[in-house]
Amino acid sequence: MQAKTLTRLERRYALLGALLIAPTVLVFCAVIVYPLVSAMYLSLFKIFTPTLEGGWVGLDNYHTLLGNPEFWTALRTNIIWTVGTLTLQILCGVGMALVLHQNIWFRSLARSLILFPYFVSTVVAVLVWKWLFNDLYGILNHLMIVARLTEFPIDYLGSMPNAMISVIVVGAWKYFPFVVIAVLARLQTIPDALYEAAKIDGAGPIARFFDVTLPQLRDVLVVIIMLRAIWDFKEFDLIYLLTGGGPITSTQTLPLLVYKEAFALNQMGMASAYAVVMMAIMLFFMILYIRRTRTEEDT
Amino acid sequence: MIRRVAFNLFAWTIVLAVAFPLFWMLVTSVKPQFELFRRPPTFLPETWTFEHYWRLLSSTNFLTYFRNSVILSTSTTVVVIAIATIGAYSLVRFRYRGRENLAFLVLFTYLLPSVVLIIPLYLMLVQLGLSNTILSLVIAYTTFALPYALWLLRSFMAGIPEDLESAALVDGATRLGAFRDVILPQLLPGIISTALFTFILSWNEYLYALVLVNSDSARPLTTGVMNMLVSSFNIEWSLLMAASVMMSVPLIIVFAFLQSYLTRGFGAGGVKG
Repeated sequence: MQAKTLTRLERRYALLGALLIAPTVLVFCAVIVYPLVSAMYLSLFKIFTPTLEGGWVGLDNYHTLLGNPEFWTALRTNIIWTVGTLTLQILCGVGMALVLHQNIWFRSLARSLILFPYFVSTVVAVLVWKWLFNDLYGILNHLMIVARLTEFPIDYLGSMPNAMISVIVVGAWKYFPFVVIAVLARLQTIPDALYEAAKIDGAGPIARFFDVTLPQLRDVLVVIIMLRAIWDFKEFDLIYLLTGGGPITSTQTLPLLVYKEAFALNQMGMASAYAVVMMAIMLFFMILYIRRTRTEEDT
Repeated sequence: MIRRVAFNLFAWTIVLAVAFPLFWMLVTSVKPQFELFRRPPTFLPETWTFEHYWRLLSSTNFLTYFRNSVILSTSTTVVVIAIATIGAYSLVRFRYRGRENLAFLVLFTYLLPSVVLIIPLYLMLVQLGLSNTILSLVIAYTTFALPYALWLLRSFMAGIPEDLESAALVDGATRLGAFRDVILPQLLPGIISTALFTFILSWNEYLYALVLVNSDSARPLTTGVMNMLVSSFNIEWSLLMAASVMMSVPLIIVFAFLQSYLTRGFGAGGVKG
């Protein structure tokens, strides 16, 4: 008798649970699952964007794509951008976190100032940096000339490799606070006893960093790197607004290529194929990250 | 002592260097136009002026964009938080088939690039006759805001001790009653955190706004301000910097009063996963 009422209660709870998750599932199906499936489906068509007319071409889009040097260049650019900006983010982020972990004056103000670029709109960040980069009146060129690092104003965004470096630096400036906050949170949980022990063993500050801090940070760094790699790989706004993929196509990454195919060259089917391939590449990292989170939750 | 001072100076030099672009944005926005072209540039404005702010508000579309952004971000946040709060409650506190897989579908979509979804979404919203409306953007924004909010709220929810709810149930509360009286008050800081993040994400979004809205009446700030840059004949940097400052006002408010909620959100969803 007792068992029976319990299961009835349990069944009612399960029903309630399903009811509560229903809105989520509905919205997910409508705006994520359906578009995702239809992106794959669309990639098998040739569609002209303004009229939305076209026909079935099967795997032709993928065939053209893999034979197109523009795709491979974009993939290479994408990897250079991701690795470049990610490396800078991690180095600056860990460095800054170590500094902010110390007891400096007005620490919370310093932390706010560091955090701000991360939350500011990409549009704002890009406008400000374009003004800093301005060839005639930009402060950066002025400082460079005063410091005698260059005689003539530098074209930061219109020539290579400057454009790539600029994009990477601005990306690092915008996103390194994420690393700072994550690492800082972890640093605060490292037990002081570990440092005391290392000190007694005669380890200097540098040895303590490599022997105590870094091993303790390893797990959180792995997660940060995976997350940021995924986010940087798919970055659109920053690059599109800063250089538009230029000069010519030197900073054109895969997301920019998808956008160009769909809304400038008006080839929706082809663009979907690019998007699907891009997602397939990202899938590797995504699965890696998801599996890691999964095992972490199980333990 | 000297080492301490030296370290502080070193630390603050870096902090100020990182913050310099934002300082420069503020300074440029209050300089008169002619002072921008001074060589060498003045670090603090010789003459202060708010004419750019005035012009921005009186003779550009800025206020319309601002209004659109407020409506858009607020509605996205309200819709997403409402769905995600009950969704997260269900994901954490109920047992049914497919629950685990659903949780990881959420994580998967949270990492999904928006360029993959944008083409089908564009087609879908055009077919529904919703293109060029704020509503179309609210729908599009749920694609990234909902997985994000769910994931964050899920970890906040998991942090609430299960005993609290059980105690309420033993006292004769219904499940929903316990949710309202016990869980929600406990979850409130998490909800505020998540709402702030969702609002900021929507406020800053650019790609969907670029693709889905092509009329000034529905354009949000991001694409609107960018349009001011592209469409003007000669670029007025002070005006653009004033626009940038104004665009960051909600953010500055959040930073001044609610920063602890932001850092809490980082811990919950961003990193620990």
